[in-house]
Amino acid sequence: MPTSKAQLDTVIRIVTPENIAFEYRVAGPFRRLGAYLIDVGLRIGMSIGIWLVLMFTLGSVGLGSVGVGVWLVAMFAFEWFYGGVFETVWNGQTPGKRICGLRVLTVDGLPIRAWQAVLRNFLRIADGMPLLQLGVFRIPLYQLGLFAAASNDRFQRLGDLACGTMVVIEERSRPQAMVRIVEPAALQLAADLPPKLAIDRGVARALGRYVERRQRFSWARRCEMAYHLAEPLRVKLDLPSATNPDVLLCALYHRIFTAEVAEEPSQPPPRPMVAALPGAITVPALAMDEPAPLEIDG
Amino acid sequence: MTMPNGLQARQLQWSELETAARRLEGGGRKVPLREMLRFAALYRAACADLALADARQLSPTTVAYLHQLVGRAHNQLYRSQSFRPATWLAELFVVVPRRLYRDNCLRLAMAIFWSVFLVVLVTAYCSPTFAEQLIGKDQMQMYERMYADPIDGKHDESRAGMAGFYVQHNAGIGLQCFGAGLLLGIGGLFLTISNAALLGSVFGFMLTTPERTNFYHFVTAHGPFELTAIVLAAGAGMRLGFSLIDTRGYTRGESLRRAAGESVAPVCAAVVLFCLAATIEAFVSPSSLPYSAKAGVAIVSAAMLLFYFFGLGRRGEVISAK
Repeated sequence: MPTSKAQLDTVIRIVTPENIAFEYRVAGPFRRLGAYLIDVGLRIGMSIGIWLVLMFTLGSVGLGSVGVGVWLVAMFAFEWFYGGVFETVWNGQTPGKRICGLRVLTVDGLPIRAWQAVLRNFLRIADGMPLLQLGVFRIPLYQLGLFAAASNDRFQRLGDLACGTMVVIEERSRPQAMVRIVEPAALQLAADLPPKLAIDRGVARALGRYVERRQRFSWARRCEMAYHLAEPLRVKLDLPSATNPDVLLCALYHRIFTAEVAEEPSQPPPRPMVAALPGAITVPALAMDEPAPLEIDG
Repeated sequence: MTMPNGLQARQLQWSELETAARRLEGGGRKVPLREMLRFAALYRAACADLALADARQLSPTTVAYLHQLVGRAHNQLYRSQSFRPATWLAELFVVVPRRLYRDNCLRLAMAIFWSVFLVVLVTAYCSPTFAEQLIGKDQMQMYERMYADPIDGKHDESRAGMAGFYVQHNAGIGLQCFGAGLLLGIGGLFLTISNAALLGSVFGFMLTTPERTNFYHFVTAHGPFELTAIVLAAGAGMRLGFSLIDTRGYTRGESLRRAAGESVAPVCAAVVLFCLAATIEAFVSPSSLPYSAKAGVAIVSAAMLLFYFFGLGRRGEVISAK
């Protein structure tokens, strides 16, 4: 998986066997600290809870020693297997990571396996160095893990480096696929536009960005912003000068991206892979009913 | 090549894929073959759509949506295999003993542990001041008090609690030894030597006291499992640390990852051994059984370990790790 040497931010690109590159944002130390503290708090809470339950059940029938034994084994399990078991069962998440929207993946973007989940949590002891002794408690300061995370571009601590894993931020917001145009004026205009539209892909992109965000602005501001993109298109399409720029852009968006509802094929055919080639593309091909060849110039 | 027939038609399939991915994320129930095939086909179609959307510079929202959709579906399609006890048993009883039999790090850990242990034992036996410097006066008195009474199974009611304590304490030390090994092997070496020296000085010192019969009565039965477990954990940790130094031609990162994959099974075996040792230590060692019975337990457990390392380890070729 080639990562760009010129990586400036925390976005990692991963190329799948399907030749799709998709992007993950890796989680830095301070995002992970929150999840870690939640997990530590939860562990402390659970150990107190288990202690109380054991003492009230086994303790009350005179089996206090068995209760202590069970509790100590539970302590051992919490200390060493808490992360490993949760990350195996919850596919790379502990309760803290789930609350903070983090997930552990392999560096290839695949879900982690059980041995990776267990091992990266065993090796936490090395990352936690040096330890601060406060009375009977030893508090890991995680300086070594911080140093390791700072020295690679995926923020991997030593345990992550050994297991080939990384912690990524799960996107919370599920973006909508499309904006639906409902204004009658725009739909009317869309129907009147010529059947074949040749729109440069850069223009199409600008169109998309505009229409997705226009709801946030007042009517006057929309017209003002839309004018710069709409005016050349209006001249090119030979429309009357009274055409409202906002309506024109909505109409174009509707025609290019969302119009022409085709029948849903019962089974999608397996598609060959498409390399992302630069160049201007005539967009209307997307909106046509019949399969059409991809037109690429340059 | 075929093209998506209008984005809205595609959107129906995207939402179908999204629903399927959500159902799979829920996990649990077995998915029928037809649904799985449909899922894979939908996934491939969405991949093609993403490539097209990228190439055509469709609106950023659509591309972002497809990115997360393909990501979710990808995670379900390439999901890691669930836990399979059969493969783990095969790993533990076929692959691991062969690897450990030829493992230089385990040999090193064993040599260091036992040589330090024996040297310190003899020194502490010969000079009481040496033991005092190593373990301190308070500890020495504590050990003398602990083994002052003959072992007759008096504290039967506290045994379960002690078993829990031994698991938590000893296996914790073992796993610390393992984890510290990652620090170029130095952390593991340090903990191995310090543990060996502490144990050796206690053994040597106790030999000089009148409580020695009680002491050996207590430690014989669980000794083989416990001492082997700590050497096993330390050796697995050293394997990690030394893989950073001797990379055998790989990059340092790759060398570490290979060693890490190989070190999981030994360290899990060590945890199992610690648990076995804790059970024996809590229920057999302090019981009123005669010394011959406890020695029998020690001999049987030592024989099992020898069979594991030599009997299972010597036969066959080494099967390389993941």
